[in-house]
Amino acid sequence: MIFSIKKYISLTGLFLGAISFVFGLLSDAQAADSAKEVRIATVAYNVNGKIGFNGSAAIVEKQGWLKDELAKLGVKLTWVPVTAQSVGVTINEAFANKSIDFAGYGDLPSVILNSGGVETRIVVPGGRGNNVYLVVSPNSSAKTLADLKGKRIALHRGRPWEITFARYVESNGLKFSDFKISNLNPGAGAAALAAGNVDAFVTLSDAYQLEDKKVGKIIWSTKSSAQDWKMRAELWGGKDFIVQNPAITQAVVTAYVKAAHWTSQQVNFDEYLKIANQNGQPEDVFRREYANDSATWQSRWSPLFDDLVSDHYANAAQYSRKANLIRKDLNVNQLFEPRFLNTALKTLKLEGYWQPRKSAGKVS
Amino acid sequence: MTNLRVFSDSFRAYALYFLSPVALLIIWTWVCSAGIFPEQILVSPAGVFETSRELWASGELPAHLQDSLLRLVWGFAIGALFGLLFGVLMGLFKSVDNFFAPSFNAIRQIPTIAFIPMLIMIFGVEETFKIVIVAKAAFFPVTLATYDAVKGVPRTYFEVSRVYQLPTWYLVTRIVLPSTTPPILTGFRLALGRSWMVLVAAELIAADSGIGQMMEMGRQMFRIDIVLVGVLVTGLIGFLLDRGLRSVEAHLGKWKYR
Repeated sequence: MIFSIKKYISLTGLFLGAISFVFGLLSDAQAADSAKEVRIATVAYNVNGKIGFNGSAAIVEKQGWLKDELAKLGVKLTWVPVTAQSVGVTINEAFANKSIDFAGYGDLPSVILNSGGVETRIVVPGGRGNNVYLVVSPNSSAKTLADLKGKRIALHRGRPWEITFARYVESNGLKFSDFKISNLNPGAGAAALAAGNVDAFVTLSDAYQLEDKKVGKIIWSTKSSAQDWKMRAELWGGKDFIVQNPAITQAVVTAYVKAAHWTSQQVNFDEYLKIANQNGQPEDVFRREYANDSATWQSRWSPLFDDLVSDHYANAAQYSRKANLIRKDLNVNQLFEPRFLNTALKTLKLEGYWQPRKSAGKVS
Repeated sequence: MTNLRVFSDSFRAYALYFLSPVALLIIWTWVCSAGIFPEQILVSPAGVFETSRELWASGELPAHLQDSLLRLVWGFAIGALFGLLFGVLMGLFKSVDNFFAPSFNAIRQIPTIAFIPMLIMIFGVEETFKIVIVAKAAFFPVTLATYDAVKGVPRTYFEVSRVYQLPTWYLVTRIVLPSTTPPILTGFRLALGRSWMVLVAAELIAADSGIGQMMEMGRQMFRIDIVLVGVLVTGLIGFLLDRGLRSVEAHLGKWKYR
């Protein structure tokens, strides 16, 4: 009896071995992408019980092109919603344990992740970036950053706007240690400003909402400074996934470029506002975020790998090292993977539609 | 022979005592080397040890630890003192008990963590808020323990002291104190453990320094090794605080039977 069980086991083993060998041959013969699903993390908001995406992801989802294109490859598209309160941390951890393949998120968390040894690549740059705002309480006498010396400022550390704020601080000849920095997430930061527990708050366009509610007053924003200072967010892909699944990656990249092209056309501006900003903030807030900006609407959505992008990341890596946010130097050139973008621009006949931006100072 | 047996028994007790931490360490090492989780997410014990040495040498860990422990000492001292007073009053006077019991019991049921947003609104994000939250966490267990201890002093003790016409100071020092000290100390021990946990949680949410903030910052900077150092230090401190009060308890327990 024992003998027969042994024989049975060895036979099963042989059979399984044969099967895996045949399948191995088959998959080699196909040499196609192995993934059956592509998971894209994106900032999402739950408004009135409905989940809404933000920015490019909302447009890509609305257009539906990516879903159809992936279906042709037999691949399922899954959106992974991430709360805006801790985007960087959540996405970094998801990239590290390989529970996502792509993510649209910011510069500093990505630099931190790559320096930590989890490799990701920018496949579609996010354009000219979002504005960063410095808000003080409405009755504050502070008019400049220097007035806030020794005061308490709410800043969520490790988020993209930290780089912007650090540059602003440095350009004023000041240091982080000149202020009392409170590490608070955006929700807590806004509440702390409203309650008078902090003197200033570094944030994104929700600054306008604080002004509308009369709990804040914007004293500075990146609208007024050089374009390089805006916070950046890009479409990132896990390195291994990109290498192993070039066809899927191409479809994702093309979809994002398509979305950027649609968005960048002025005629679609109003519709864009309705689709892409489902985060419960009034439309009016976004109109103000986009109005009177140093970047034109079309160039704002430029997905090109230009000097702006490379300079920005060089600076981000340098700052992170100096501020001791990362332990070792990071070669930022390894972060860029432009080949899918170039193919997409060719396929969509968009070569020359956007102009690359030259190094700091010169405006396109 | 007897000596040998005593020795082997105590050795066995010690071995058992260290068995679970060592097993945990072995499993941790094994899971790391098996590569079940990426190395950035689950850092090996050796990596965590190395990081804790770095953090200690750079003075970062001692500074955070000092801030946290200072908050703990202040918050606990205030909370325990008020708890002691309140517990004695409620235990001795029926009217105080009746007056405060409903609100006391209702507030006691609310997790301290749930108070954090409200306390931030009232006290801001500075030190006061952290001390208040620790004091709150310490207050309730100490009050309860004191109340029960005072209520638990047998009536006969008082009767006996009356029969012998003992002076009041003698009654307090020789009867009330010894009979209430052990349960009150148990309350202190529970309160201290709870205060420590609540403090670390509060520091995770809003602080410039402290063990909790070190962990939160570590997570934001994708330094899970720092987070794990925080986890270990928090556990170790909690363990030591508990052990410390336990030995005080044991010591005073002996005094009881003197």
